[in-house]
Amino acid sequence: MSRIHLDHLHKTFHRHVAVRELDLTIENGELLVLLGPSGCGKTTTLNCIAGLEMPTSGRVLFDDEDVTAASPHQRNIAMVFQSSLLYPHMTARQNIRTSLAKQRLDRSETNRRIDEASSILGIDGLLDKLPSQLSGGERQRVATAKAIVRQPTAFLLDEPLAALDAALRLTLRAELVNLQKRLGTTMVVVTHDQVEAMTMGDRIAVMNEGRLEQIGTPDEIYNRPATLFVAGFVGSPPMNLIAGEIAAQEGRTPFVAKDFAFVPGTPVGAAGPATLGVRPQHLHIQADAAEAAIPVTVFAVEHLGRESVVILEDNERNKLHALVEPGFAGRVGDRLHAAPSPEHCLLFDEAGKVLFHPQHEET
Amino acid sequence: MRFRLSSIWSWLALAVVLIWTLLPIYWFMKNSLLTPAEIARFPPPLYPMEPTPAAFFNIFGFEYEMADGLVRRGSGQANQIIRGFYNSLIVSAVVTLVTLVVVLPLAYVFARLDFPHKNKLLFAILLAVALPPVSTLIPFYAMYVQLGLSGTLIGLIIVTLTITIPFVTWMLIGYFRNLPEVERLARIDGFSRFETFLKIIVPLGRSGVAVAAVIAFLFSWNEYTYALFLVNGTTANTLPTAVSGFLFQHPEASHLAAAVMLTMVPPALVAFFLQRHIAEMNLVDPVR
Repeated sequence: MSRIHLDHLHKTFHRHVAVRELDLTIENGELLVLLGPSGCGKTTTLNCIAGLEMPTSGRVLFDDEDVTAASPHQRNIAMVFQSSLLYPHMTARQNIRTSLAKQRLDRSETNRRIDEASSILGIDGLLDKLPSQLSGGERQRVATAKAIVRQPTAFLLDEPLAALDAALRLTLRAELVNLQKRLGTTMVVVTHDQVEAMTMGDRIAVMNEGRLEQIGTPDEIYNRPATLFVAGFVGSPPMNLIAGEIAAQEGRTPFVAKDFAFVPGTPVGAAGPATLGVRPQHLHIQADAAEAAIPVTVFAVEHLGRESVVILEDNERNKLHALVEPGFAGRVGDRLHAAPSPEHCLLFDEAGKVLFHPQHEET
Repeated sequence: MRFRLSSIWSWLALAVVLIWTLLPIYWFMKNSLLTPAEIARFPPPLYPMEPTPAAFFNIFGFEYEMADGLVRRGSGQANQIIRGFYNSLIVSAVVTLVTLVVVLPLAYVFARLDFPHKNKLLFAILLAVALPPVSTLIPFYAMYVQLGLSGTLIGLIIVTLTITIPFVTWMLIGYFRNLPEVERLARIDGFSRFETFLKIIVPLGRSGVAVAAVIAFLFSWNEYTYALFLVNGTTANTLPTAVSGFLFQHPEASHLAAAVMLTMVPPALVAFFLQRHIAEMNLVDPVR
């Protein structure tokens, strides 16, 4: 168990910068999710923590001890790779045993740990099968067992569930979180799936183009996104982003878009181009026109059972999403108005930094 | 209807291939079981009416008494055949072993690691295969005479390796490249690079290893050009040159046929035991 600290971690491949001056602390026993689109540097960051990649500059510290130059094995980390990579020519048992090959344990202790890990993961019956004879979910469990037998200082998981079908992913991610909480071992999970990140993480670190955009609890990431990127990346259906600008007026700084205006409760910084963000559940559909409502046309209605998603088009054919009650009666082509609820609107400046957070924090 | 038509074509293709490959073998098999008089007959018999194993005894120097009391004497080439068989086994075994020891790490490094000038070196290896053996025959001969390597097994082994090593390397690179990325897993498990190669990659790629062995064995077993120039007529004679010796002596077609059949036995055994691996391995172009 250990606290992992990344100190100005920088990694370039030839001329391409993969990770840019990253400072990050992963607390002891925490489950941190590295979230971002592909190519954002999250896997490179994980590989640097693991010791598979040497950072170009910066340091990796485990419990204040500099391990930047240490091998993965010296760091005693355990890693589960994308699509649950296993040695294809070894049985599940041999795969798990190989984890302990360099641990200098006696035979009975090795067997005891393998038995323990396989009963935790419920794979006792599968130990003599080859990876090719196992299903995706079973392979994932074997890979996890291979990770926990070592009793590592940290678990590092690279897209552990990406290759599985949706139903299995749901089950296994709960199992992984449950396991991590029971063992209390620090865990870092890399994913591009924001739902996975929200459901698994104690904290989420959102990365984009090698930079850390924001780190925080799922609640903070969702309700108080620090940047436009985080706001747009997290949430499903995605946050509505409306381009416009902030006009400078006396004592007030109204946000003005083409067909619509919004006045934040407290004045925000400088005037200039800006983006307004509002979650689909805070976009209210009404028949009547109003200054604070955007004229829209219904593009599609998706019924999800508990609620419905209405996809709307404004006059410039930008798509907006709104969550409505299942009884929503609108039809495709109807001309309506969408009013963002003012207390839930966010404003971002030209560089994508948040200018204005909503007063209320609720989902 | 379309399915049946295409299956007729594939059966036809299969038949052509089988006739192409099996007919010569059948003809030699038949000849080896006939008497010289029967072989000389015209038109030749299509199958042996009274097959006799006499030729197989004769080529090892033994006499064989036919049913009618006629004794067929041992072949004058017998010593050459026995020694050639023995020498060929030694050369093939050593070449196979050395080829594997050199080629497995070499192909692995080219397939899985990145280093400067990799492609240039790769093409240098290909160039070594591209040279026709005949073009290096005279230089090798001149060099070997000076070094005292002509007429020795070790000389023949060295020459054969110059061909098997680049050829098999080139072949295996594509195979190694297609193995899953287990190196990262092995690093997490604490294996060094060399341990990873020896304990993980070689067992994982055993099909490739088997095929490399088969190719090296077959090549050195069948090698004729160099053997003819470097060891023929010496005590280091190999089986192919010994068999060709029948052409220059009192010709006895059944002995030649029997010797050819003998030549086919070890490669047939090797191919038989390793065929599962040959089928498993898909050869891929090593240059991406």
